[in-house]
Amino acid sequence: MSFAAPSWFPATESVEDELARRGVSRREFMEYCSSLCIVLGVGKSEAPRMAAAILADRRPSVIWIQLQECTGCVESVIRTSEPSIGTLVLDQISLDFSHTLMAAAGHAAESAAAAAMAAEKGKYLLVVTGSIPLADDGIYLTIGGRTAKVILEEAAEGAAAIIALGACAHWGSVQAARPNPTGAVGVSEVIKNRPVVNIAGCPPIADVVTATVAHFLTFGRLPAVDGDGRPLFAYGARIHDQCPKRANFDAGQFVEKFDDEGARKGWCLYEVGCKGPATFSPCPIFQWNSHTDWPIGAGHPCIGCTERGFWDTMTPFYGRLPDVGGFGIESKVDILGAALAIGATAGVVAHAAATSVHQMRERKRSLPVVDPTSGGPGTPKA
Amino acid sequence: MSATPLPPQPAPPRPRGFTLGHRIPPPSGEYRWVYLWDAPLRAMHWLAAIAIVALAVTGFYIGKPYFITGGAESADPFVMGWMRFIHFASAAVLVMTAIVRGYWLLAGNKFERFAALFPVRPRDWVNMWKQAKFYMLMERHPPAYLGHNPMQQLSYTGIYLVAAVMVVTGFALYGQSNPGGLINRGFAWVPALAGGIQMVRFIHHVLTWVLIIFIPMHIYLAMRADTLERTGVISSIITGGRFVDAKEKFIDAEDA
Repeated sequence: MSFAAPSWFPATESVEDELARRGVSRREFMEYCSSLCIVLGVGKSEAPRMAAAILADRRPSVIWIQLQECTGCVESVIRTSEPSIGTLVLDQISLDFSHTLMAAAGHAAESAAAAAMAAEKGKYLLVVTGSIPLADDGIYLTIGGRTAKVILEEAAEGAAAIIALGACAHWGSVQAARPNPTGAVGVSEVIKNRPVVNIAGCPPIADVVTATVAHFLTFGRLPAVDGDGRPLFAYGARIHDQCPKRANFDAGQFVEKFDDEGARKGWCLYEVGCKGPATFSPCPIFQWNSHTDWPIGAGHPCIGCTERGFWDTMTPFYGRLPDVGGFGIESKVDILGAALAIGATAGVVAHAAATSVHQMRERKRSLPVVDPTSGGPGTPKA
Repeated sequence: MSATPLPPQPAPPRPRGFTLGHRIPPPSGEYRWVYLWDAPLRAMHWLAAIAIVALAVTGFYIGKPYFITGGAESADPFVMGWMRFIHFASAAVLVMTAIVRGYWLLAGNKFERFAALFPVRPRDWVNMWKQAKFYMLMERHPPAYLGHNPMQQLSYTGIYLVAAVMVVTGFALYGQSNPGGLINRGFAWVPALAGGIQMVRFIHHVLTWVLIIFIPMHIYLAMRADTLERTGVISSIITGGRFVDAKEKFIDAEDA
């Protein structure tokens, strides 16, 4: 380890020593590796290989750069479900550079980054949180006088693979929502020549990151991804299909407004705008803060934060359908649709009435006398 | 088609008072029966009608559950489950009717074939305007067509398009229940084109209203044609044919 290693983690200490110091037995460590393997879907038999990779002296290092973001992803990631081992894997074993977590600052931090990248060129794993503002030559984010785009391109140059962590690095998140004044984009729109895996979410679940890093350490490549670059082991299933409230959904038991009887009974949040049916994420299984809870479990509808563009496409967060812009309150789709349907029916009735009146007038004008005994006006004249 | 001349018959005595349809020109006394709609087309029409009603009723529940199943254990009622099952089953029926109708665009008679969907000839536009004037009570008689008049062609083709968009967006939404499955992958272009799965949901929801608005207008205009012009069109979608004045000239009678 280079100068970049955080001062609170002496470079001389081996991983085994660190584990022992934290009171983690070999057995517990192996159990953790087994669970990570299961999370990744690679099978428990790979656990020894993963343990060896994590304990290896010459493992790839991790460089973590933070761009246009709120640091929420770091907050989420340092709360892995197994803090004593999980944070070890992520933050302490391999993390050579991180704006937030490292002790160094200023020029020391900058040179630490340069040193770490030079030492491990072509081998390190780059973790990026935050989006990259491209508008006006990227002046909306500069660190040490360099724009986010330059920093990212430099860091990506020597990276073996890139983990785009969180919605900002994935596609830009809130700052990329319409009208996106800073021209914020995700990592994969700037870096085209390196493998990028998107750990979606605002913020993502720590265990997904840990598992992805462990996968890279063990197998030397990133896990299989879906069409949006998200690892399938985590984002391959819909929240709706894993949700503990699915039984209430199928039964027709819904929260109609917050604090009603249904909410007290913990019924399905579909009617108050839950985006679980359109969102792919392992939240119901992995959960947050050491498996304590997750949004739907706490009675709040899913806002779809793992989906690209969710600030624009998943809003309103408490409604089932997107709003119609520019019409005002009366233009809610169903009101408009019902009004048109009633209007069409009323128009039909009005048209029928107008036809009748028209007919009566026609008859008066064109048929002066109708003899009731001679048949009708349709009778041919004899 | 079969043109069985009937013997001249005296018109029946008409009651006094208000009746519709009194200004129909006196019939010549001779009728012929024209066969228009083949059995597959009629069957698909009624199957699609039933399916669309079932889809709308269940679809609105899926969109916004308009009643709540209270009380019992969640394991007991299965309301949303059944609503979704009926919705998907009806959707399957609708897709089946679309496939048969699609085949019948090639295999059907001249009133049913592909060309009959599109009023593109100058004559069609003239007659569409005449038809519009008839509906605005500015014309005594509409242009006489055996099959669909140009305005019908335009609106029915439009409804086919709406139904096609409903099917495509519906599959895109349905595919999400099996991520990575055939339907999910096959219709992945739909959310990409629409701007996200929520926009697909929105389109699917709004077009339901278009189909619902179509229903009263369709029924009214069919009844109007039958009562005012005595065209027998309602009977034609049940029996396949209608009686027409043997001497009446029809615009589309000689069409290829």
